Amino acid sequence: MNPTENKTSCESEINDSLRVPLLALFGGAALWLVGGLLLGLIAGIKFHAPDFLGGCPLFTYGRVAPAANDLLLYGFCIPAALGVMLWIFARLSQSPLALPLVPVVAAHLWHLGVFIGTAGILLGGSTGHLWLEYPRAAAVLLFAAFLLIAVSAAATFGWRQEKSLYPSHWFLFAALLWFPWIYSTANLFLNAHQLPRGVVQPIICWWFASNLIFVWLGLVGVGIAFYFLPKFSGRPLASSGYALLGFLSLVFFGTWCGIPPGAPVPAWLPALSGVAALLTIIPLLAILIVAVKTVCGASVSCNGGPFCFIKIGMISFIVAGGLYIAAACPQYSRVLEFTWFGAAQVQLQLLGFTAMILFGAIYFLLPQVMGRPLPLAKFTKLHFFLSVAGALLLVVPLVAAGIVQGEKLADASVAFADANSAALKFLRISTLGQLALLAGSLLFAANIFAMTIQWKLGIARTVIDYIKSPLATAKTSEVKS
Amino acid sequence: MSDENKSCSVPPPGEPTATPSTAPMWIIVVTLILLFIGGIYFDRNSGWFNAKVYSPYASAENLDACQPQSGAAAFIARGKKTYEAVCGVCHGPDGLGKPGQAPPLAGSEWVIAKGFNRLAHIPLMGVAGSIQVSGKDWNMNMAAMGAALPDEDLAAVLTYIRNSWGNKASSVAGDDIKHIRAKLPAGAQPMTHDMLMQMPE
Repeated sequence: MNPTENKTSCESEINDSLRVPLLALFGGAALWLVGGLLLGLIAGIKFHAPDFLGGCPLFTYGRVAPAANDLLLYGFCIPAALGVMLWIFARLSQSPLALPLVPVVAAHLWHLGVFIGTAGILLGGSTGHLWLEYPRAAAVLLFAAFLLIAVSAAATFGWRQEKSLYPSHWFLFAALLWFPWIYSTANLFLNAHQLPRGVVQPIICWWFASNLIFVWLGLVGVGIAFYFLPKFSGRPLASSGYALLGFLSLVFFGTWCGIPPGAPVPAWLPALSGVAALLTIIPLLAILIVAVKTVCGASVSCNGGPFCFIKIGMISFIVAGGLYIAAACPQYSRVLEFTWFGAAQVQLQLLGFTAMILFGAIYFLLPQVMGRPLPLAKFTKLHFFLSVAGALLLVVPLVAAGIVQGEKLADASVAFADANSAALKFLRISTLGQLALLAGSLLFAANIFAMTIQWKLGIARTVIDYIKSPLATAKTSEVKS
Repeated sequence: MSDENKSCSVPPPGEPTATPSTAPMWIIVVTLILLFIGGIYFDRNSGWFNAKVYSPYASAENLDACQPQSGAAAFIARGKKTYEAVCGVCHGPDGLGKPGQAPPLAGSEWVIAKGFNRLAHIPLMGVAGSIQVSGKDWNMNMAAMGAALPDEDLAAVLTYIRNSWGNKASSVAGDDIKHIRAKLPAGAQPMTHDMLMQMPE
């Protein structure tokens, strides 16, 4: 065989194996992203017009707000991240996806779980635990679906042709193990028949939230960024020593974080958590150094494309990490706890960091996998600016609101209601941010769905052509794709 | 399955690589410094894994000091505080005394005697010359350390030393000290062993 023929077949084998699983994961994720931002907008409008949809119990704030956050995380971030991870594993392994049917089934199970969970929350079936609001049936589905995808990813990893490991492998493989561990532990404790009593409940909840939002999203986002940064800038990742230190310290110290300094639990828990939060400066520093050393000096302009998304995502990661450490510091926490500051940090982690990196990755890999350019390629640049503007408009006012609100809460002469309403003018701006993000997500979803429709039309056309010309058997191979 | 995978032998180009390097030393030093700072913070704020210590209290002792006390326990706690400020410097916080400086109080026959009349005269008047304590001869002077203490405080101190470090004897009330103080021998001469032995227990 001649080598060029081999080469094309290798690329196309990988792409063929990924096409259906990735469309299944990304299609649902795009839908949930729009849904999550829409519900978030509804929750945001309640601050300006409390009567908005007030007669409908489905859309009361206490149901819409957690449903919106869960849709962003479980609906968009996790399945989209899993899709990108499958692609990266296949690329780095230089072999097609193993067991390609498994992730397709798993993707549908996952989206079914998200649907049931969201419906459960909106109908009043929330468990009431932060980030674990989905009722038990949905949690079981999500867990099973994740395991199936992890099996496929691990098999791809195990059958890799290129034996040496790349830093992204550490981050992404750890993430594959991390989520089943924390999700099953937290659910077994908090969604089982016999709940632990008293202070144990919030402790488990804080541990889970921190491991999910800070460690898991961190592992995934940074792992993906470490794959794309050298690829886009055309330089090797600098350097593996910093990356290894960043990985180990993120995993080791990050998992102890999350118990707020003012928590009404035995003092050693917040004290230990505070020490761990202080030490997460190390992974932030190491990852920042890797990113800066890799990107700086490379004369590649990003021009609103995937590279821009990834760069902004990494900046958001560092800023969100800084906010996280600040909130764990007792001096600041005294003011910032129980304010909008925490929400700002989580939104930045979700929408500024994880989502941004996932958008960049998907815009880059989807045209490759589908073998055709993005149908609405002009939208990506607009989506980039809307995302950045939206994230800034959402997060910066919330941080300011948190500080103002916290200072008023600490002042005994200010009434509680006045302290809360001090945040209102900031919330008006952050609602604008939500609008921009929603508009951007619509552009993203439009691209994904246009791509899916084009692909399905292509298949249909091939099938029709095949039926029309029964003698042209040479074309049958295309039907498979 | 793996055979099937190997059918594509030429890998897709353009996969990223990493510059190999070891973890840099300076950041490990920074980690150790942060660990040290964190360790100090933990030591000061954690209560060392005691499940009863909640914020804003930082340690079990801190917590005990804030417990409301009443009756005998409060009286002894008051005595302990005065003892540690006035007497403990020489007799030691453990009541074992210091060789060549002050005799022990723990197990001392003067302290755990049935009555406290002789005992009370020691801080009120001071002691001079040789004195037998627990079978050993101590030859030294003690100033009238308790003369300036209010009756209640001195009573609390005596109650404390009579009921600590394994000692077990009756407690002393403020009024008892008041009576003893009223009948002190004339003159400011410190007590001697013989003078004490001539007094009623």
